[in-house]
Amino acid sequence: MATRAVIGGAGITPATSPRKQTSSSLELIQEAVWGALQHSGAAPDSLDGIVIGNIDGFEGTVLGAKHLVRRLGLGTELPVSILNTGGTTGGNLVQVAARQVRAGDRRRVLVIGGPTFFGAQDLQSAINTNSPMIVEQPLGMGAYHMGAFYPSAYTERFGATVEDYAVSAVQDHEHASRNPYAHLRNTMTVDEVVGAKPLSYPLTMAMVCPVSTSANALLVCAEGTTSDLRPTPVLIKAFATSSDPYLGGGKNDFAAMENLAILAQKVYQLADVRDPREEIDVVEVFSPYAPMQPMQLEALGFAPPGGGIDLIRSGATRIDGDVPVNLSGGPLCTNAGVAGELAPLVYVALQLMGDAPEAMQVPGARRGLAHGTGGTFFQFENLAILERT
Amino acid sequence: MTTTQRVHWDLTYDVHLGATWGRFMAGLTEQQILANSCPECSRTFVPPQAYCESCFVRTDEWIELPAEGVVEAFTVAWQGFRGGPTPPYAIAGIRLDGASTLLMHYVGGLDLDDPSAVREQIGPGTRVRAVWAQERTGQILDITHFEKI
Ligand SMILES: [Zn+2]
Repeated sequence: MATRAVIGGAGITPATSPRKQTSSSLELIQEAVWGALQHSGAAPDSLDGIVIGNIDGFEGTVLGAKHLVRRLGLGTELPVSILNTGGTTGGNLVQVAARQVRAGDRRRVLVIGGPTFFGAQDLQSAINTNSPMIVEQPLGMGAYHMGAFYPSAYTERFGATVEDYAVSAVQDHEHASRNPYAHLRNTMTVDEVVGAKPLSYPLTMAMVCPVSTSANALLVCAEGTTSDLRPTPVLIKAFATSSDPYLGGGKNDFAAMENLAILAQKVYQLADVRDPREEIDVVEVFSPYAPMQPMQLEALGFAPPGGGIDLIRSGATRIDGDVPVNLSGGPLCTNAGVAGELAPLVYVALQLMGDAPEAMQVPGARRGLAHGTGGTFFQFENLAILERT
Repeated sequence: MTTTQRVHWDLTYDVHLGATWGRFMAGLTEQQILANSCPECSRTFVPPQAYCESCFVRTDEWIELPAEGVVEAFTVAWQGFRGGPTPPYAIAGIRLDGASTLLMHYVGGLDLDDPSAVREQIGPGTRVRAVWAQERTGQILDITHFEKI
C-alpha cells in the first residue's frame, strides 16, 4: 500500500491590517515556520522539503517566495517547490506536499503560506489583473462585483433576502471573536451587516472580507514517521481540485456552486463519506463573501439546494451545533492571501489534533472538511477531508 | 521607525488574441456577435473557444448570434475601483439567444439612484439588446453596453 500523508504540526501568526502590520513578509513567515516546528517538535534538520506559495504581482514581486526560503534559517540544502495558483495556492500547497510524500519522494515537508495581500497600495487593481483579460477585464468588475453575481442569481431562484445573507456574516464574526488569531474580532448584528456601506448589489461592506496580514505553516509527513512529534497526527484522507472554464461567463449557473458539488462527490467517494452531515465534525469553508457560505454548504451536501441559510439559522453550524462551520471566523474575518487560503487546513488540523485555541475547540472532533476556492469568479475549488489518527 | 518603502510597477503588454478570439473581435467591428459550437455536445460558446473542454474536440462550426438575450445574474456596483468606470453602474451575465455560455457586459439606461428599485429593472429574466459603439476597433467595448428591450 502506498504511503499516506499526515499533518504533524501547525503554526499561525495573529492577523492584523496591512496598515497596522510592522513585521515584514519574511518575519511573519519565519514566525509561522518556527511556530509550526515548535508545535510539532520537529527538528529543522528533519525536514526534507519546502512547498511555498505566492501570488505574482500582489506583493510587487514575481515568484517572490523563492527569495524567502533561504532566509528562513532552515539550512541550504532543502528542495523548494513554489506554487502560484492564485486563490487556490494555499490549498494546493498541502495537496502538492501530500503528493510528494505519498509518492515516496519526501518524508517531511514544510508547507508555507505567506501574507500575499500585503503590499499592494491598491489591492483591487492588483486583483483585477487576475480576471480574464480582453473580454471580461474591461467590464468594470473587481473581485467583490464578481462575487455579487452569486447572490443575485440565488435570490432569483430561492427568494433569499439581504437579511438572509447577513446571517452567515453574523455567525462568522461571532466565531472570530473566540479566535485569538483572527483579524476582525468584533461581533455584529444582522441590522449592522445589512446597514453597512453598500458595495455591489446585494453585498454590503460587512459581507466582504478584510485585507489581512498573517502567515501560516503546516508540516506534512509520511505516516509512521512521526514518533518524534508531539501532536496526534492528522491523516490527509482525501484531497482534490476541480475547475470551471476560464471565463466567468463559462459558469453554467450562478445560483448553485456546481463545480464544488461535483468535487465534493469525488472527494467524499475517496474518503468514504456517505452522509457528510452525520460523519463530519468540523468544517472550514472559504467564503470571503458572506452569501457564498450557505451556497457552499449546499454544494457540500450539508443542506439541500436553497437550504443553506436555514441550516445556519438553525444553529447547527455554531460551535455547539452538530456541524460547526468556520469556527476560525473564516476569510470573512481574516483574509491574508495565501496564508488565508491555507488557514482552513490549519484550523481543521488543529481541531482534529485537539490543539485549537481553547475557546474554539470542538470536543472530540475526529473528521473535518477544509475547502478553498479562487479565480475571480471562483472557477477553481479544492477540498480535503482530514481525520484524526 | 519607517516600516514600508514604496515600489511602483509601470508595464504595458500587447496580448496576442489568436485565431479564435481574433475572429470574434473582427466580428464585433462588423456589428456581429460570432460564436462557435461543439460538434459533439452542440453547446455554443460566446466568446468563442477553440476547443470544447468537455468533449476534447475542436469547435470549428461558426455561427452569428442575435445581439439579444436574457440577464441571468447581475450586480450594481455602488463602489468602483481606480481606473474603472464611475459608479453606480450595472454589469450582467447575459445569455444571448442560442448561447450555452454567458456573455458578461454592462447594462445601461437604468435608473440606479434607488437601490431598492434595482432588482425590478434588471433582475434575472430581463431581456436586453446590444448597443454598438460608433467607432469599433475590435474589442469587447465595441458593444458599449446592453440595454433593456
Ligand atoms: Zn462539447
